[in-house]
Amino acid sequence: MIGYSNYFYRVTILARWLLLILLTVPVLAGVVGVVLPAFGYFPAIGANAVSMDVFARLFALDDAAEMIALSLTTGAASTLIACLCAFSLLAVFYRTRVLSWLQGLFSPFLVLPHAAASISLLFLLSPSGFFARLFTFDSDAIPSSSQSYFLFDELGLGIVLALIVKEVPFILLMALSVMSQPLIKEKINGYFNVGVSLGYSSISVFFKLILPVLYPQIRLPLLAVLVFAVSNVEIPLILGPNNPSTLAVAVLHWFNHIDLSMRLMASAAAVVQVGVAAVAIGLVILIENILAWLGERSWLSGKRTFGDDGLKLLSLFVVAGYAVLVAGTLFNLVLFSVAQHWPFPQVLPSGLTVLHWQSVLEAALEPIINTLILGGMVSLTALVLVLLALENEVLGSFNRAPDKAHSYQSNAGALLNIALFLPLLVPGVAFLYGLVWFQQIALKNAVWFHVYIAHIVYVMPYVFLSLAIAYRKLDSRYAMVAQSLGKSPIRVFLSIKLPLLAGPIMVAFALGLAISFSQYLPTLLATGGAISTVTTEAVAAASGSSMRLSAAYVIIQAVLPLVGFLLAWWLPGVLFTPRKVQINNKTTSPQPFRGS
Amino acid sequence: MALHLKQLNIFKDGSLMLSLDATVNKGEVLSVMGPSGSGKSTLLQAIAGHLATPFSMTGKILIDNQSIDDKPPHLRGIGIMFQDALLFEHMTVEQNIIFAMPKTKRYSVSKKRESVSNMLEAVGLEGMQNRAVTTLSGGQQARISLLRSLAAEPRAVLLDEPFSKLDTALRDQIRTWTLEQLRCRGIPALLVTHDSDDAVAAGGQTFELLPC
Repeated sequence: MIGYSNYFYRVTILARWLLLILLTVPVLAGVVGVVLPAFGYFPAIGANAVSMDVFARLFALDDAAEMIALSLTTGAASTLIACLCAFSLLAVFYRTRVLSWLQGLFSPFLVLPHAAASISLLFLLSPSGFFARLFTFDSDAIPSSSQSYFLFDELGLGIVLALIVKEVPFILLMALSVMSQPLIKEKINGYFNVGVSLGYSSISVFFKLILPVLYPQIRLPLLAVLVFAVSNVEIPLILGPNNPSTLAVAVLHWFNHIDLSMRLMASAAAVVQVGVAAVAIGLVILIENILAWLGERSWLSGKRTFGDDGLKLLSLFVVAGYAVLVAGTLFNLVLFSVAQHWPFPQVLPSGLTVLHWQSVLEAALEPIINTLILGGMVSLTALVLVLLALENEVLGSFNRAPDKAHSYQSNAGALLNIALFLPLLVPGVAFLYGLVWFQQIALKNAVWFHVYIAHIVYVMPYVFLSLAIAYRKLDSRYAMVAQSLGKSPIRVFLSIKLPLLAGPIMVAFALGLAISFSQYLPTLLATGGAISTVTTEAVAAASGSSMRLSAAYVIIQAVLPLVGFLLAWWLPGVLFTPRKVQINNKTTSPQPFRGS
Repeated sequence: MALHLKQLNIFKDGSLMLSLDATVNKGEVLSVMGPSGSGKSTLLQAIAGHLATPFSMTGKILIDNQSIDDKPPHLRGIGIMFQDALLFEHMTVEQNIIFAMPKTKRYSVSKKRESVSNMLEAVGLEGMQNRAVTTLSGGQQARISLLRSLAAEPRAVLLDEPFSKLDTALRDQIRTWTLEQLRCRGIPALLVTHDSDDAVAAGGQTFELLPC
């Protein structure tokens, strides 16, 4: 290992292990805590016999198969369609200015938590929603349930739409961040130039040459998206059918049932939910293989286009759809939050008032403070651990005994990669209940601690993945120069690396905050409702059918992460730029001289 | 001060990559030449203590007959300069140089400032203390970079193709100046380059690496 021992290096090793433990132990413990009751072992209600009875009862339910099918079809369909949309946008607009404009258009739905995005769609598409208002010309009409514009339908089209709306910006962002990494960028640009010079259209170059480079890099996050899509609770809760609901929603209801024995059923269903996620992953892998086979054949066909016109049309449709959704959502949220009387089917409210905001801010003050404290603690912890763990990668690679160090590094690296995606690949409904069960046994009243752990599990992977790229990309020669000037590793870390990475660090912190703000299920379960956050209140308001309250909460949900990202973008420049730059920029003609 | 490389062998994945046995005396420059991929930069990393997987080394590195093999990079007293100036962009010119100065009781901050002022004046950059480094020209950055290295009072300096990114007119000027600074301070230096003009200008021994 390292030829000199030092205190700082040991701290980084400790941080790395702590990070691994925080990612894996809650998930694994949670799974155990669900599997035991699923097989009938739940001493609290006197169930001690291990058997398959609970599963038998679950599958004997009339709509068990329908629930499973609904979860599977909505999740898989939305992810596949979202992939198609995101890839076709990339293929059509890659290397054009439209792409950065598109990121702006998508950003509202990127930062909006799933719950808030669903509520926004509710405003537009519900029977008394904005679109119904626009197309109802009879002023005496009452909202009809038949006119529901595919919400709450048996097929779950509302769920699929909401998932797609949230997933496309996310997939696009992931793809772009991979494509901006120097090595991959260079390769992709080369492929693009060669492909075009061989006469392939830019769209066919994307699908035939660039996607094969890009896809392996975003495959794991895509599977995480898929697992979330088949197992999330908040979207089907707000937009989905009730009878039957998706499996995840049923799990939620059964766990919260007054009759404790329903917990056994809920646990069994949670285990089945893991199976549903696994089947969805299997399905996607099958589709991947078919597409890869078709892809190889398309290389040999020599065809210079790749459904160019269709994909262009699809992209335009997607962009137009987002434009309508974003404009409609903004219009509705803002107006609803200040509307006086707004009867159906009028397109505008009869008057404006700030009264709702006064009462909302009063009621929301505590949830907002809770949200900020929780998000701040969780993100700060995640940030510190992630930075130290990334520094450990660097320090650990200098060594005297290459063989040993090499295997240590690669083992630790592989372990970390699995751990990072563990919380994202095991459905939340499956492990969070088990985790809560253990937490209540161990520390009954430490609610804040429980919710802190439940959030960290979700925040850590995102903070790590967002920071790792920038950290590993940092020119290692800066650190070498600083060390050659006699600075110890900890000094180099604090005085050189952290300031140089101020931008990405702040963005990772803001992302951590945004992820923590958006958590619904972990907050609800870990606190048992004792701590309310903006997101739990927003979902409650949506099901309580107060449109005005919901609108205000959605706006708060959008504004909180937005403020975080704006600060992340603005602060590094202020904090880490030498004071007199502005003056000098004006008086001298700068001649930048910077390395590759 | 002298830098000794005693039977230095560098391995990649266990197979020999290069070996070198040399002494660089006070104020002398050893030029190491070779095509890219021949291990020039790896040699410098070995001496500076930055050797990482899959590379390893045997042999001894001594400064003034004192082995530095077991010391961590930051305690070796060896300065490195790369082809990029690598000035810390979050610091001003003055902060960059003072950051490099050793932490001893001899210097108060005001004394350090005075010393920076003198150093800048000596190289024709007076009054640049509070400039942001990104506003400097390439030649100015190269000079500040060397001043920063020298401010750390290194016992030896490693130069990794430090002039290759400068344009021709500037290159001669900066090269002459850099070599002069090292010579008059009596610092042994190892210059890695693929430009034979560099080796000629350095005027010391030249060692050729073969491509492998």
